Amino acid sequence: MANFPWLTTIILFPIVAALLIPLPFFPDKDGRTVRWYALAVGLIDFALIVYAFYTQYDFDQSGLQLVESYSWIPQLDLKWSVGADGVSMPLIILTGFITTLAILAAWPVTLKPKLFYFLMLAMYGGQIAVFAVQDMLVFFLAWELELVPVYFLLSIWGGKKRQYAATKFILYTAGGSLFILVAALMMAFYGDTVTFDMRAIADKDYALNFQLWVYAGFLISYGVKLPIFPLHTWLPDAHGEATAPVHMLLAGILLKMGGYALIRMNAGMLPDAHAYFAPVLVILGIVNIIYAALTSFAQRNLKRKIAYSSISHMGFVLIGIASFTDLGLSGAVLQMVSHGLIGASLFFLVGATYDRTHTLMLDEMGGVGQKMGKIFAMFTTCSLASLALPGMSGFVAELMVFVGFSNSDAYNPTFKLIVVLLMAVGVILTPIYLLSMLREIFYGAENKQLTSHEALVDAEPREVFIIACLLVPIIGIGLYPKLLTQVYDSTTLQLTARLRDSVPALASRRQVPTVSFQAPELSARQQG
Amino acid sequence: MEAIYQYAWLIPVLPLVGAMLVGLGLISLNRATNHLRSLNAVLIISLLGISMGLSLALLWSQIQGHAPYTRTLEWAAAGNFHLSMGYTIDHLTALMLAIVTTVALLVMVYTDGYMAHDPGYVRFYAYLSLFSSSMLGLVVSPNLVQIYIFWELVGMCSYLLVGFWYDRKAAADAAQKAFVVNRVGDFGLLLGILGLYWATGSFEFEVIGDRLQSLVQSGALASGFAVLFAVLVFLGPVAKSAQFPLHVWLPDAMEGPTPISALIHAATMVAAGVFLIARMYPVFEDVPAAMNVIAFTGAFTAFLGATIAITQNDIKKGLAYSTISQLGYMVMAMGVGAYTAGLFHLMTHAYFKAMLFLCSGSVIHGMESVVGHDPALAQNMQLMGGLRKYMPATAITFLIGTLAISGIPPFAGFWSKDEILGSTFAVNPVLWGVGWLTAGITAFYMFRMYFLTFEGKFRGNEISIRHQLKAAAHGLTEELEPATAFGPGAMDKRELAATAHKTHGHSEHPHESPWTMTLPLVLLAIPSVLIGFVGTPFANYFEAFIYPPGETVMELASQAESFDLKEFLIMGGSSVGIALIGITLASLMYLGHTINPAAIAAKIEPLYQLSLHKWYFDEIYHQVFVLGIRRLARQVMEVDFRVVDGAVNLTGFFTLVSGEGLKYIENGRAQFYALIVFGAVLALVIVFGVT
Repeated sequence: MANFPWLTTIILFPIVAALLIPLPFFPDKDGRTVRWYALAVGLIDFALIVYAFYTQYDFDQSGLQLVESYSWIPQLDLKWSVGADGVSMPLIILTGFITTLAILAAWPVTLKPKLFYFLMLAMYGGQIAVFAVQDMLVFFLAWELELVPVYFLLSIWGGKKRQYAATKFILYTAGGSLFILVAALMMAFYGDTVTFDMRAIADKDYALNFQLWVYAGFLISYGVKLPIFPLHTWLPDAHGEATAPVHMLLAGILLKMGGYALIRMNAGMLPDAHAYFAPVLVILGIVNIIYAALTSFAQRNLKRKIAYSSISHMGFVLIGIASFTDLGLSGAVLQMVSHGLIGASLFFLVGATYDRTHTLMLDEMGGVGQKMGKIFAMFTTCSLASLALPGMSGFVAELMVFVGFSNSDAYNPTFKLIVVLLMAVGVILTPIYLLSMLREIFYGAENKQLTSHEALVDAEPREVFIIACLLVPIIGIGLYPKLLTQVYDSTTLQLTARLRDSVPALASRRQVPTVSFQAPELSARQQG
Repeated sequence: MEAIYQYAWLIPVLPLVGAMLVGLGLISLNRATNHLRSLNAVLIISLLGISMGLSLALLWSQIQGHAPYTRTLEWAAAGNFHLSMGYTIDHLTALMLAIVTTVALLVMVYTDGYMAHDPGYVRFYAYLSLFSSSMLGLVVSPNLVQIYIFWELVGMCSYLLVGFWYDRKAAADAAQKAFVVNRVGDFGLLLGILGLYWATGSFEFEVIGDRLQSLVQSGALASGFAVLFAVLVFLGPVAKSAQFPLHVWLPDAMEGPTPISALIHAATMVAAGVFLIARMYPVFEDVPAAMNVIAFTGAFTAFLGATIAITQNDIKKGLAYSTISQLGYMVMAMGVGAYTAGLFHLMTHAYFKAMLFLCSGSVIHGMESVVGHDPALAQNMQLMGGLRKYMPATAITFLIGTLAISGIPPFAGFWSKDEILGSTFAVNPVLWGVGWLTAGITAFYMFRMYFLTFEGKFRGNEISIRHQLKAAAHGLTEELEPATAFGPGAMDKRELAATAHKTHGHSEHPHESPWTMTLPLVLLAIPSVLIGFVGTPFANYFEAFIYPPGETVMELASQAESFDLKEFLIMGGSSVGIALIGITLASLMYLGHTINPAAIAAKIEPLYQLSLHKWYFDEIYHQVFVLGIRRLARQVMEVDFRVVDGAVNLTGFFTLVSGEGLKYIENGRAQFYALIVFGAVLALVIVFGVT
């Protein structure tokens, strides 16, 4: 089975399955069949992902695995080449997991169900392609291609201002991705050989000036996606208008593309420029954390509040990437996966609450906890996960970034002190807005105005199931982080080593000079 | 004997299993689980019972001289960074395990009676069990990171339990306040941990202490850094143990059900701060400046809490401020280096304060049958009086607790408080003076509380006081919280008043509580009387067991011989003396009514107001921090909306959309537009690719 084209199958299967939906003979009774069909496709593809990685992927190797390469358009030297390493593999699994759950979350969709599930399945393949492809041009195409379903999902099934939000989204991201294209072409044509292969591009030896320009271009386009302040304003609009399943995809996966690409291209291909830009990333990360947390606190619209909290959490990814330590980078990857799970669960719950209250304004809610006990419990759990409560994945990720950055030898102590202090301020701000939100939705005496005309039924088993599925990995990683970190550890180690080599001051010291917390020392004492 | 050490991890895990089983039941089979009330309670109590058995066995084994035991498992790793988690059993841990499990078990038994009529009975047990698990996990932690993890988890449990009655607005506010104020402390703790790790490369208490000392001595680390990190770590205990200036959450946390106030907010969780200082003692003791900060914070808090407690009329609030004050004693003891005395007081206080709170719960339970389920009435001492006739068991146990906390020999509190004051005098007479004065105030307010509640005649049926209190309570909520903060309709006062009338009491007199409530009181009374004898100055078994990590048993033995009867009599006599003065004053004012307290209050009006308004901390914090952050957040949002997003909306290609493109949008042809954009990009690719 080693030669079976696993990744290609995983990418193409949902797309082909989606293409079957518009066919006239596709049986459909008011959208009841198509959702089962989509769910089955999602599950099969997720099973394929898990099986492929379980049997074929070796944690100890740092490089690309499950590699396939086929010539596509030889005139352009365009190749369909895919592969997965430690950074992309967890994200591919996350994509399969979240998208399948999003299909389940979309169960009540009644408007144009065929088109909806077609787009969902197309997204499924497109998203995995972004994480798996190893050719710059194909990467760009996949990046663009995945925007189209999002655009339609936003503009047809969104809220009142959906057209505005969808247009803003497409203009922002399409505008941003022009930078990818230009930068990718510049890199491809640099030097003697013309190649679009990512590994070949990464191995080229670029001049520093050139690197800086390309890095800046990439940073803008991925900064839109992640998002990084001040390129974030499409996100609250898009998130504010999206329906819950689309929301789960936006927060769970699309934001992670920005982080993934930052690690893969900015850090992985342009290490010299990364050394120059890293402090900028740190400062932008701090701004993200604090600025978005404050904005979130002031927001009265529930969806926009959670949207800003996503921006705030992404700040930790930036700081982790810029920390030049194994632990920091590892924390950044973990934060992406963790936020994918937590963000998806929160947005799903916001959708579930909206289905019942039919309002997103906090001022119109209040005291719904008595009628909706299960939703209250799940919302509380997921909010606690989001505010980095220990025992859940968010805490481990933030802790790793904290420890990684504060032990980084790439920055001087004063800078580190200020940055760590400000990051920790974010730790105070996060519970303020999340707990205020819970208080305003669920606590207090029953809101008679709301309960008089809205039927506030408690969560149905399907909703409990979705949240339970998301909580299992959140708590699993939180209790034993090595479950996930060991999967990608070798890749992040190698990448950190490469990044450190590019900083002259660090290159002489190959290892981070921290006195490690020795396990043997403890086991020796245990006998005493 | 080894087996109990190998299975010691069961101590925190068993209550967790109980909480998870019941929690899963509540989520999946809500109705059935809620029906099986006693089954759930029995399951959770018996699991904790097993933990208690194991803990007591460990304590016994440690007293017998078993060596400390540590077991770890690698938890997180990246590159050459390794972090292990596990458990360590030493003298301090064994002591804390025994305290936590015994108090928790009794509180759980008590809960059965107290929460009998509450629809959230089963959920309450699940939370209690979860809390016990986190607290036990905290005390077995072998390193700082694990402490931090469980530190936050007990904070979360406290949040859930304070907000247990989530339909009460005051409870919701208090829960959030408790969590956020504790997060401020955690902020310091986290920074301190990171700083210490940066400096020493370790998360282990003794390793940090040793390395920090050698780093400072060799000059590799500026001593300012050591002080900074130590004080930052100390911020954690400041929040958790409700020390000035982060004490404000604890009185509000009394909105939670009373068993919680006893377990979490008196006996165990708030003592976690003192426990952490004890754990970090190897670090603190080498940093004199930090020790001073700790000692003075503790002394000031002890005084602050006592002065506020004098004027409180809510029985639980009064006890809460007394807790703050007593925690101040413990922290001060730690700060002056009286390690053993601080932990001794932690132990005695855990028992007598848990008992006092449970007594107050019993009183509230009895009052509710007269005045209805309104905390503004049922907890107010102005409506009580003469309860000794109706609730004899509660009255006697409360009196025992009052005598213990006032430091009257031979009750437990005397020995521990006397030891603290004695050690403080040797280090700093000023601190001793504060502590000594506070002891007098403590005796005064505790006896005021006892007399108001249990002596005199019953005032619960005086309608005029009730109306006055109700008006004051509702007027206060209106004044503090703007109605808009909560949504329309929710704060309709007429509704509130109407429901309050309906839940009017059904009895003329309060009644004694059921045996499940009085039994724990009686059981807690035993240690409240007797446990002080393990640490008397002439035969200090406690000190032989609990001593600072750096000291050896030999040094202790030499210290123990130096017992000086004269010194003991002077120190003990002076603190008993001032306590007696306090008691006499209280009885003159509230028992004999020979002195009119209102007249005194009128004479020192500003001081009275200062105490009544809790030194205005809540008002100042509300103005500065709560409103300040709200204002800042709103401004940031305005900037985001007008400047950042505005700039975007103004940029070139957006005018295209709003001008030309808008037509397409309004015609519903935005899809078409998107395809154009996409097509253009695709064409660009191909053009670039070919050329």
